[in-house]
Amino acid sequence: MKTIFKNRKISSIVTVVPKEEFRFDDEYPAFKLTEGKAKRFKKMMSLDRHRIAPPDVCSSDLCLFGLQQLLDEGVLKKEEIGALVFVSQTPDYFMPPTSNVIHGRLGLGQDVICFDINQGCTGFLLGLVQSFLLLEISALPKVVLLCGDTCSKQMDRCNRVSYPLTGDAGSATVVERCEIENPIYAAMKNDGSRHKAIYVPAGAYRTPATPETLEVREAEEGVPQSLQHIHMDGPAIFNFTMEDVPPQVEEILSFSGDTRDSIDCFLFHQPNPFILTQMAGKMRIPQAKLPNNIVSIFGNCSCATIPLNIAFNFAEQLQQGSRRVCFSGFGVGLTWITMVLDLGPLAVCSVVDY
Amino acid sequence: MDKVEFCQKLAEILDIEEVKLEDVLNEFEQWDSLAVLSALAMADAKYGVTIRADEIRSVVTAGDLANLVEEKQKQLALKP
Repeated sequence: MKTIFKNRKISSIVTVVPKEEFRFDDEYPAFKLTEGKAKRFKKMMSLDRHRIAPPDVCSSDLCLFGLQQLLDEGVLKKEEIGALVFVSQTPDYFMPPTSNVIHGRLGLGQDVICFDINQGCTGFLLGLVQSFLLLEISALPKVVLLCGDTCSKQMDRCNRVSYPLTGDAGSATVVERCEIENPIYAAMKNDGSRHKAIYVPAGAYRTPATPETLEVREAEEGVPQSLQHIHMDGPAIFNFTMEDVPPQVEEILSFSGDTRDSIDCFLFHQPNPFILTQMAGKMRIPQAKLPNNIVSIFGNCSCATIPLNIAFNFAEQLQQGSRRVCFSGFGVGLTWITMVLDLGPLAVCSVVDY
Repeated sequence: MDKVEFCQKLAEILDIEEVKLEDVLNEFEQWDSLAVLSALAMADAKYGVTIRADEIRSVVTAGDLANLVEEKQKQLALKP
C-alpha cells in the first residue's frame, strides 16, 4: 500500500553503539578461513570492523541510553512523551513487552502508551509508521521510537557468513506533530510466503527450545549454527533485493513527484556494501548519493542501520538544515518499505558510545 | 553471448587463472556461498538476467551456467 502522512516530523535522532570494536583481521582465524579466502571475503564485502555488545548488554540498554541522552540535552521532556515504540528482534524477555520495561526504568507516567514491534531490517520505517499513527490519538505531542538489536547474540561467533557482517546498536528518535504539512510519502509491501528466507527456526513456541535446538552444527565448514540462530537464504535474499526493492523506489519517486536528482540522499538499510553497490547500479543512483559504509565500520545492526546511517553520515548537515531523503528498508518478513520526506533540521543528531 | 568472456568473469570471481566450460563448479574449493552470490550479481549486472537460488543450485558445470544465462537472455528478448 501507499500513503501520505502529514503534519508529522522527525526532530532528533541519537544512535548508540557499544564501545567494544572488533577487527576482521584479528577475527578471521576463528572462521576457519585461509588467508586467501579471508582476503577475498574482506574485499568483496569491504569488511573492516564492527561493534559488538558484551553479553550483559541488551538492545533495550542501548536504546535507553540514547533516550536518556535526549532528555539530558533538553530536546525532550518526560511529560511530552505520549508513546514509546520499541522495535527489536532481541527483546529483554518473551514477556512483558520491552517497551514496558523501558517505561518503568525511565519512570514515565501511566498515560504513556507502550508498543513493541518485532521487526528487523525495515524496523525503523515500520516504527515510524506506527509512531505517525500514534500521534493521531496521543494527547501528548511526541512519540519516542526506539530501534535496537543485538543480533550478535543470535549467531555463533565463528560463523563466517553472518558474524563478521553483524553489529549491535540502539537508537532513539523523536517523532512529533508539526504545524507545516511536511508530507511524508510511504510505500509498504509484505510477502509472508517467503518468511523463511531469514528466520530463527527454534526457541519460541512453533519449535520450543530443547538441548537439541541449542546444539551447534557445521553444515558447511566455517558456518557453525544452531536452530536458535539466524538462518538466512543468501541467494533468495539477493534475488529479493534486486527484484522487489528497485520497483518500490521507482514507485515512491513517482508518487512523491521526485527524481533521482531531486533526492539529496538515499538512506537505505545496510545489509552489506556488496548488495548496496549492486542495488545502486541497478537503480542508476550515483554511489555518492547512496552511502554504504555502515557495515564496514559498525556491522549490520538490523533496525538501527538507518538511524545510524543518518547520524553517522549526515549529522552536521541535518543539524544545520533540511535534506530531501529517500529511506528504504528491506528484509525479514519479507517486508520492504520506502519513504520520501524532507528530513531536518534536527535538534540532535549524533552517534554515541555505550 | 561470448562464452570465453563469461569464463573469464567466472575465473575472476573464483580468483583463479582459468575456468573452462566443462569444469564442474562444485569441484572448485572457491565455489562457496560468496562465489554463488558474486555469480548471481554478475548475471544481473553484466547480462541483465535474474538467476534464482534453486536454479543456481541445480547447475553443474560452468558451461551449464553460461547456457542458463543465455537462455534467460533469450526469454527476456522474446518478452513484448
